[in-house]
Amino acid sequence: MGSLLAIYAFDELWNLSNIVRYGLLSLQHRGSQNYIVCTPGERVECFQGESIDEVSRGASKNVALAIIGNGSDDVLVETDSGRAVAVASERQWSEASRVLQAVSSSLANGGDIASSFAKALSGIGDGITPSIAVLTKRGELIVWRSTSSLSPLVLGSYGFDMAIATSESVAVDILGGEVKRFLKPGEGVYIARHLLKHFTVPTSGGYRGLCTFELLYLARHDAVVDGTSVYEFRKLLGKELAKYLESEVDVVVGVPETALPYAIGFAESVEKPFEMAFVATGGRKRSMLYSDPFEKIVAIHLKMNPIRRALEGKRVALIDDSMVTGSTIKTVSQILRFRVGVPEIHLFIASPPLVMQCPFNVMRLDMKSLLAANLSEALAKDYLEVDSLHWLSKEDIDRVASRFGLKLCGRCFGVNFFGCAK
Amino acid sequence: MRVLLIGSGGREHALAKLIRRSTLEPRLFVAMDYRNPGLEREAVEAGGRWFVVHTVSPAEVVKVAEEVSPDLVVVGPEEPQFHGVTDALRERGFIVFGAGSRCAEVEKSKVFARSLMWKYGIYGRLYFKAFTGVEEARRFIEFAGDVVIKPARQSGGKGVKVLKDTQAYLSRDRAEVKKTYVEKLFSEMEKYGDIDYKIIVEQRVEGVEYTSMTITDGDAVLPLPLVQDHPHAYEFDIGPETGGMGSIQGPGWVLPFITKEEFSKTVEVVTQVLKALQSEVRDVYVGAFAGQMMLTGIWGPTVIEFYSRFGDPEISNLVPIVTSDFLEVLDRAARRKLAGAKLSIDEERVTVVKAVAPAGYPDDRKLASGHPIHIDEEGVRELGCEALYASVELLGDGVMYSKGSRVFEIVCSGGSYGEAYERAERAVTYVRSLDGWPLFYRSDIGSRELLEDRIRTAERVRTIYSSRGRRGLLGKVLVWVPGEGISDNPLVGFVR
Repeated sequence: MGSLLAIYAFDELWNLSNIVRYGLLSLQHRGSQNYIVCTPGERVECFQGESIDEVSRGASKNVALAIIGNGSDDVLVETDSGRAVAVASERQWSEASRVLQAVSSSLANGGDIASSFAKALSGIGDGITPSIAVLTKRGELIVWRSTSSLSPLVLGSYGFDMAIATSESVAVDILGGEVKRFLKPGEGVYIARHLLKHFTVPTSGGYRGLCTFELLYLARHDAVVDGTSVYEFRKLLGKELAKYLESEVDVVVGVPETALPYAIGFAESVEKPFEMAFVATGGRKRSMLYSDPFEKIVAIHLKMNPIRRALEGKRVALIDDSMVTGSTIKTVSQILRFRVGVPEIHLFIASPPLVMQCPFNVMRLDMKSLLAANLSEALAKDYLEVDSLHWLSKEDIDRVASRFGLKLCGRCFGVNFFGCAK
Repeated sequence: MRVLLIGSGGREHALAKLIRRSTLEPRLFVAMDYRNPGLEREAVEAGGRWFVVHTVSPAEVVKVAEEVSPDLVVVGPEEPQFHGVTDALRERGFIVFGAGSRCAEVEKSKVFARSLMWKYGIYGRLYFKAFTGVEEARRFIEFAGDVVIKPARQSGGKGVKVLKDTQAYLSRDRAEVKKTYVEKLFSEMEKYGDIDYKIIVEQRVEGVEYTSMTITDGDAVLPLPLVQDHPHAYEFDIGPETGGMGSIQGPGWVLPFITKEEFSKTVEVVTQVLKALQSEVRDVYVGAFAGQMMLTGIWGPTVIEFYSRFGDPEISNLVPIVTSDFLEVLDRAARRKLAGAKLSIDEERVTVVKAVAPAGYPDDRKLASGHPIHIDEEGVRELGCEALYASVELLGDGVMYSKGSRVFEIVCSGGSYGEAYERAERAVTYVRSLDGWPLFYRSDIGSRELLEDRIRTAERVRTIYSSRGRRGLLGKVLVWVPGEGISDNPLVGFVR
């Protein structure tokens, strides 16, 4: 799953290298092993690599299209043979070449590029289209949010000087801009030196709702997703979880660092102290986004040096946002038991059990390694070495999502949607 | 009553419509720079005539006035004021509505306006530094922080660069842009020989903008309803600065995001400036005067700049709602008998104005010029809206061509923003180009989303300035440079 960052500076005075660099830095939590930056010119030039600094140096013009991906995402940017057009998509997408062809021939024939783009998209059949960004050699940009709307796309600005389109609002904040619009499903903009066109393309893929994991895990706490504060959403789920507390606990602990707002909400509700329990080494790593199991466990271990004196001898309510394979929780419980010495661990998961693979390939979930789909509750408790195990119900998520006016895709949890079914 | 209107654009078309409704049975004469078909029609229908002249030439305008011998002359735009047209007309004994050149300095020179506010200690003033030479400016800008760079002279609502600089990690990139921009702006400003200072660097503020227009005879000040303009070229407040892509007004005298207290504070500021200005230039201000304001966390109501005329497109919002005799008010102001005059408006209605512009506007006027434009006025009228002709010229072939700026302003009203918005959205589609050249307008103006966003921003800003006010910090921005001490200078940045 890739994330997009497209910047159009209306004044040619701007060199976007450093701006792209900080923009990508702010999106790093969405997957961090692969960067591509494209710029216009005689031909579209694309720079690809694993170092933000090196890749963003390429963005030395006033227009740039960048994408950030994970190691296993192969080709997220395609260019035509003459390198007149580049199409970047969030996920590998078999129809990218059709859009590329349409825009490329429109460019060659002096046609209306935005219309050709829209026409090509609306002709594409079934399947879930990802969000897309297009750059032409003349420096026109198109950004379009997938009709499925599984992932967000926001439009921001900086003064009179820039338009910024990106997968997460934090990039606009970090670049000193202001978020102007959460693009709606199928909504796009075409930006050129003297024109900005706003359009909507319905595709037959259909509306899926936002991926629940966007709010549960992927976005930063400081992000705003389709108008919803991620932090508030997480805190409220934590409060919901509190009603499942049946035993006495002394402290509330969140698995770093996504689960911290959940734990804060939980602690507030049960009126027990929230404790900072672990300190990370070497910057923030998103363990869930690694596909290599060894790299993943290394990332988990580096996040988890415990603050022993705060927890020793205490009964712990341990909060996490979700549980996929359980390997993170297993690691945490082993640290709490053997390195700290806690007598009880009560585990609270701020989402329902994951029982299905993601049919849209947004989240990489492997059916045979999903803990909840393979282990009985008793077995899971013994494996994880926890005294009790609680999940939010589907109804809980549904209620919270409705409260924020959200419609969320819940396929991996075994339901079609949570929240407002529009 | 014989009325001569000077000016060529959408603002003058709005004024023509307001004037023609008078019970004083006006015969309307228009002196304009090009054949604006809308103004032409208003003049002919009102039993008058139209003249094509250089409206910035005192001699040419005086000649028209002598031919027409009007009871009242209304000078619409600022440039004729700057060039002494108003003065020349008054010298010849004409009764004129419009600021004289000395008073119009408040719009022409941003340095004069800012200095005036500091000299008289007027509320809502911002820090600034002005430059006559490029070297000095370049040296200063090296260390400037969170600032706005502007041409020091009024130049058609263009050339403003807002460079928010609150992140040190991007400060150097912005400093580079500032330096190059200062040089570029200096070379562009060289064409203006009528001003010493070429550029001005100001404290950057954020918040919600609004325009407070007034009519004055030098003593009495008659406030008009608040209007909000939209300077960004494109949807969602994105893109380059324009002269205004549309405006909203109502219901009543304030906007949904401005309180009555903020309105009266604004009028107080505008009135104080008028007083200070008149004693400074030793002239009487007769005409329209407006504050382009912003509600900010620093001051609350804060002055961005002044207009020595009606706002364009802001005056267009008044067309559907003024219920009393507008011409009578203009005439009383021109005769210095404004005291006691009242303006009534329909307080139940709201108005939405949308400008339509050719691609190329505002940064490449050449590209935006010379395109044949068509309007289905019947369609616009059926929706209860009015079309104001702005930057369009009727040529010998009977076709209208774009002149490089906004071609039409579409004025719609309704009992609610929803209603006015729907009408305006439909009405703008009746303007099109005949050569397929793209025209654009902003469909977000007047929308519920944008209005809600303004209300949220205004509430945030109100929280800030109210708490600063309680602590006696309004207007103050303290900077501490260890070793040098505390100073009140927000123009200094991170780069040292």
